[in-house]
Amino acid sequence: MNMKKNRSTSLLGMAFFGPALVLLILFLFLPMLLTLVFSFTDYFALNPDLTHFVGLENYFTIFKDDLFLAAFWNTVKFVIIIVPAQCIGALVLALLINKVTICKKYFKVAFFIPVVMSLAVVSSLWMQIYSPEGILNTMLGYLGIDAQPFIYSASQALPSIAIMSVWQGVGYQMIIFLGGLQAINPALYEAAEMDHASGWQKFKDITLPELKPLCVFVFITVTIGAFRMIVQPMVMTGGGPSHSTYTLVYDIYETGTVNWEIGLASSMAIVFTLFVVVLTIIQTILTKDKEDKDARKKTKTR
Amino acid sequence: MKKAMLAGILSLLIATSLTSCNKKNVKPGDVAGYDAGETYISMWVHTIEDTPEGEAYKESVEAFNEKYDGQYFADVEFIPRNDSGGGYSDKINASVMSGDLPDVITVDGPNVAAYASNNIIQPLADLTDEERSAYLDSIIDQGTYNGKLYALGAMESSVGLYYNKDILEEAGIEVPDADHPWTFSEFSEILEQLKPLMEEKNGYPLDMTFPVGETSIYYYAPFIWSNGGDFVSEDGLTVDGIFNSPENASVLEYFRSFVDNGYMSEAPIDKLFESGRAAFKFDGAWEVNTIYESYPDINLGVAPYIVSDNWDGGRYTPTGSWAYAATSKATDLEAATELVKWMSGVDSGIRLFEKTKNMPSTYEAYESIDLFEEDENYKALYEQLRDYGHPRPHTPVYPQVSTSFQQALESVGLSGKDAQEELDKSVERIDAKLKRYVR
Repeated sequence: MNMKKNRSTSLLGMAFFGPALVLLILFLFLPMLLTLVFSFTDYFALNPDLTHFVGLENYFTIFKDDLFLAAFWNTVKFVIIIVPAQCIGALVLALLINKVTICKKYFKVAFFIPVVMSLAVVSSLWMQIYSPEGILNTMLGYLGIDAQPFIYSASQALPSIAIMSVWQGVGYQMIIFLGGLQAINPALYEAAEMDHASGWQKFKDITLPELKPLCVFVFITVTIGAFRMIVQPMVMTGGGPSHSTYTLVYDIYETGTVNWEIGLASSMAIVFTLFVVVLTIIQTILTKDKEDKDARKKTKTR
Repeated sequence: MKKAMLAGILSLLIATSLTSCNKKNVKPGDVAGYDAGETYISMWVHTIEDTPEGEAYKESVEAFNEKYDGQYFADVEFIPRNDSGGGYSDKINASVMSGDLPDVITVDGPNVAAYASNNIIQPLADLTDEERSAYLDSIIDQGTYNGKLYALGAMESSVGLYYNKDILEEAGIEVPDADHPWTFSEFSEILEQLKPLMEEKNGYPLDMTFPVGETSIYYYAPFIWSNGGDFVSEDGLTVDGIFNSPENASVLEYFRSFVDNGYMSEAPIDKLFESGRAAFKFDGAWEVNTIYESYPDINLGVAPYIVSDNWDGGRYTPTGSWAYAATSKATDLEAATELVKWMSGVDSGIRLFEKTKNMPSTYEAYESIDLFEEDENYKALYEQLRDYGHPRPHTPVYPQVSTSFQQALESVGLSGKDAQEELDKSVERIDAKLKRYVR
């Protein structure tokens, strides 16, 4: 009787899960597997019949390729600028909005709107903002600062795009933090106030530890998002000037669809995936370790 | 009950995946207008149906079906693409693998060589001499690879050296006729002469950029050709000693001089020419229509494309656009060729020009459009195309050649790097891609 019931629930479960599984296999797992297989071949999109197995040759090729390495470093630079700026920015915004009593909804919506807008649209808007005679340079002019080339100079393009990306994405993480802030038990703050804790102490000892799981989540999602950077440079600079904003994903796209080198692009994608996975694992270990240590510390002092 | 549901869902999935694979077996009556006894020709074009371009193609196909009623039936499918050609070429690539290419496709001119050398398209059935001579030389040249004609242009394109008549008049500069263009050194002198005047207008003598993408090689390859240089060898398989020749390096340095001497802005300024703050601009033929419609205050003229001091009088000006070709899957080559000829022919060209202002590919089309006789700017663009049009390089690694040229141009022109070094680096990169064809 019991077994029968189990089977029927599992069948029902399969009925719900099945279609999703089929689609996942077709459009996610199979392509992933194919990418891995292609990465060991010289598959050329225009002539699939001539595909040979080339072993690890593609991997040697890409690590000797200046452009791939440049794209790799550009991506790392983007991550280094975007991750701290976006995480801290989101937290600060969330704290501020949590404090604000008037027009709270307005601020929430205002900071969230860029997230809803299409990246391509946001990028085109910021091209106007950054243009040599755009609004930003006009404002700088009033301050007595010379017009800056921004996205048209090899040294300023990357930071300019990074800042724009932070502006575009920060609202999303802000909402997540805001939810976390509102979930903190007010009794904790009341107790702290009775002990005459300062604002900074309350933030350090109550808010931050309570938000910790969210911080880890935000940290990892922002990192992965920053690694996947492609739309902004594609629309704003085309990877230029002098490849200063050419990112890994952009290189994979160009190699695969413009130059038709699917094999090479596949191995780039594999390297990229491995790198992100390894980094995510490191991040998780690092943040977890601390948690354990903190827990141990607490028990010790107790 | 639940099992039945699951089975239903699965069979639905299988059914949909099967139908999408079996598309090629179209029987008479399946498509409106396709009757028994007609040869079915499937065709893909690179635009959606709702654009003026799409409408023109649709009308041309309808006209074809009407004319060849009872003999051929062409079925057109519209495939969207993004600016860089993404969506459409992805679809072609995927179909090359799965083997369901249609009979006729559109190919961007510079890709003819790559498609031909990878057997995606096949040579067209023989054209009579009369049929051939209907097309501009640049169209035949663009569609020819290894001596065989693969593609015929749906349209042709051109780039003009536009000038602001009022500004040149103010500076007292005379524009030469088409057969005696300004040389590099003459043009530099003119820019130098215009510089103080343009500074007064808060502008530059030249509105120019080195944009990423196909534009750079399209606009600026004439500088290379008129200087006796080229990009690839005749067979399209060698670049060393050609792409990185000293002649080409000197052209890149010439571009650098525009930036060094302040003839152009290092960072692109929007609408510099259109707002009357630049004397010259290189831009596609569509610019004429843009100026006429949106900036009627600009007194527009077309000057002959400038040439190197070493110009030998040969063909050198920009050309090239989308063309029709028969794929290797086309079983009835005669039918496919007939459709290609029709779609690239006089009537189709006129229709396309009326809707989009894209330049036609046949002499007769130009002769029957009044604008090319009455309007001096359109006339100048047509004559430049007719007398001096030069197709872009024929090589299977064209995408690499095009991006490499843009990168070298940007590195030398804007960042001031060493021209020879940059070109040598490009050659290395192109050679890596050529390996596939020479081994």
